[in-house]
Amino acid sequence: MTTVEKAADKVAPPQTADPLHEQVEREFTVKARSQREQVFRRFVRNKQAMGGLILFLAILAICWIYPYFYQFGFNDLDATSRSVGPGTNGHVLGTEGLGRDLFANIMRGVQRSTLIILIAVALSLTIGLLVGLLAGYYGGWVDNVLMRLVDLILTVPGLVVLIVVASNFPNLRSATGIALILGLFGWLDLSRILRSQILGLREREFIEAAHALGASDTRIMFKHLVPNMLGSIIVWGTLAAATIVLAEATLTYLGFGVANDTSLGKLVSDGVSAASTRPWLFYYPGLMLVIIALCINLIGDGIRDAFDPSNKRVRA
Amino acid sequence: MFFFTVRRLLSSIVVLFASSLAVFALCVASFDPLAPYRTRQPAPPPEFFANLREQLNLNEPFISRYFSWLGGVLTLDFGESNGGTAVGPQLLGRLGVTARMVIAAMVLAVILAIIVGVLTAVRQYKPEDYFFTFLTYVLIALPTFWFAALLKEFVAIQFNDLVGQQVFYTIGEQSPAIELIGTRSEIFWDRLGHLILPTISLAMLSFAAWSRFQRAAMLDVLNSDYIRLARAKGLQRRRVLVRHGLRNALIPLTTVVALNVGLIMGGAVVTETVFVWHGMGEYLIVSIGRSDLFPVLGWLLVAAFFVILFNLIADLLYAVLDPRIRLN
Repeated sequence: MTTVEKAADKVAPPQTADPLHEQVEREFTVKARSQREQVFRRFVRNKQAMGGLILFLAILAICWIYPYFYQFGFNDLDATSRSVGPGTNGHVLGTEGLGRDLFANIMRGVQRSTLIILIAVALSLTIGLLVGLLAGYYGGWVDNVLMRLVDLILTVPGLVVLIVVASNFPNLRSATGIALILGLFGWLDLSRILRSQILGLREREFIEAAHALGASDTRIMFKHLVPNMLGSIIVWGTLAAATIVLAEATLTYLGFGVANDTSLGKLVSDGVSAASTRPWLFYYPGLMLVIIALCINLIGDGIRDAFDPSNKRVRA
Repeated sequence: MFFFTVRRLLSSIVVLFASSLAVFALCVASFDPLAPYRTRQPAPPPEFFANLREQLNLNEPFISRYFSWLGGVLTLDFGESNGGTAVGPQLLGRLGVTARMVIAAMVLAVILAIIVGVLTAVRQYKPEDYFFTFLTYVLIALPTFWFAALLKEFVAIQFNDLVGQQVFYTIGEQSPAIELIGTRSEIFWDRLGHLILPTISLAMLSFAAWSRFQRAAMLDVLNSDYIRLARAKGLQRRRVLVRHGLRNALIPLTTVVALNVGLIMGGAVVTETVFVWHGMGEYLIVSIGRSDLFPVLGWLLVAAFFVILFNLIADLLYAVLDPRIRLN
């Protein structure tokens, strides 16, 4: 990398008047790539990750655009065809007990689930970032208090904390409400990851230099530390999205999740009780959920490999 | 090592007490023991509530309620549920049921993870590696309850129909009242038949992530200098892989397994619901539905106890297995 850059620097000022230089330039046309370009190129060359990304974007596009052209709305009750199998009376994937079209509902569910992902990830990213920054940067008692708090929350199984908290708010059974609850408890691992990275970063020269130049703490945190941790933050955000999709489904299945709304998790959990009698209600939403979670995981792993090609870090 | 153990033990006890306080605060804020009476028709008079508050010590300050609960717990008295049954014996019985599933699932997941992790590392970028990598990716993306229902409805029931005999049981942790009528071996086989499917569905939850982890650890070890040295001095490949490679590559996995106990206990709640087991999970869900304070408190405390215990075990094991860890 550095040699490539040096070569590029030497060649960089093109003096077209000089025939000798022109020849050199043609022989070594080396283009310097920024860090960001390298990461991007590595990601684009990763077949699995690009496949996941394209499939994911295609699913999102279909689920957000196609409902405008589809003949059934997600809430339309078709009294003439209740609980019919795929392909009957124009219902591509069949209907459920009240005559609502499954395909329209899956598209609606994906829309709501995207919303859940966005809200929950944004919320837990904000909290995790702040906690990680405060704990890592200030250290001392701030670090102690915050990290012991995280340890304490982690002593109880996460799913159970979610259940207990969700049972408190029977009015928050919509997609947005569940997203808020998931977001409020999703930041624990992020804050730990960021804290440990900051502990290394804050001893580096560029932070010292920023201090010496009189930069404020907030400036150092957001202009110097955060850009250096962007890789981990993006990777965490992607992988957390997959976790949130699954957590929402599990919570809904146990009866503490989405109730008065459509979501992918709701469709999957409703389908489980119909598995033996109306298998299409079981298969299609479940497959959709698995494909989405799989795509997000592939994208996340692709981004991680792009940022860290040594490929040593593994999720567990 | 002795002082290290004692120090870790003491700090774990402190964490357990802090955790019990946090759990108590969470539950007291969440559950109203008077809730079942509030919806009664006709509504009970205010004196009734005042009496009940006095009876249940709800008028006392938070801290004194906490200590009276904690004092009970230290003498293994976990309080009473809304219906008046003692929580302790309930928890103990149900813990036995759930422990069967959790332990079996952990053993299965660890064994499979080691086999698949080592196989995919040794045969890196070969067809086996790609196959298992794909499989683990799919398993990571599966919701546990959906996978469990899939096993139950489409594998077990169809297999039973095919054989014409009930091989896999899909409901309950044992046949009803088998402990009263069956012989010891009948009870054993009956429970084993009930155990298989829940164990598989619970194990798959962790197996996928652990096998990826084991693969990375094994690759890390296989690419290190001492493995090259071992090969260069003429040791057999098998011996190098097992004695020099695997032994070192297992160390990181012990930590991960111990730290994932909380995850598995959460997963057990889901699996129990799918397979209608009368274990800890059912107790939790039912108690939360009734906003029953003491059963939930007891549940959370037991869960926290096991999570902290396994954290401690992970710490100690790591120090034993990896002599480079500084004990002081």
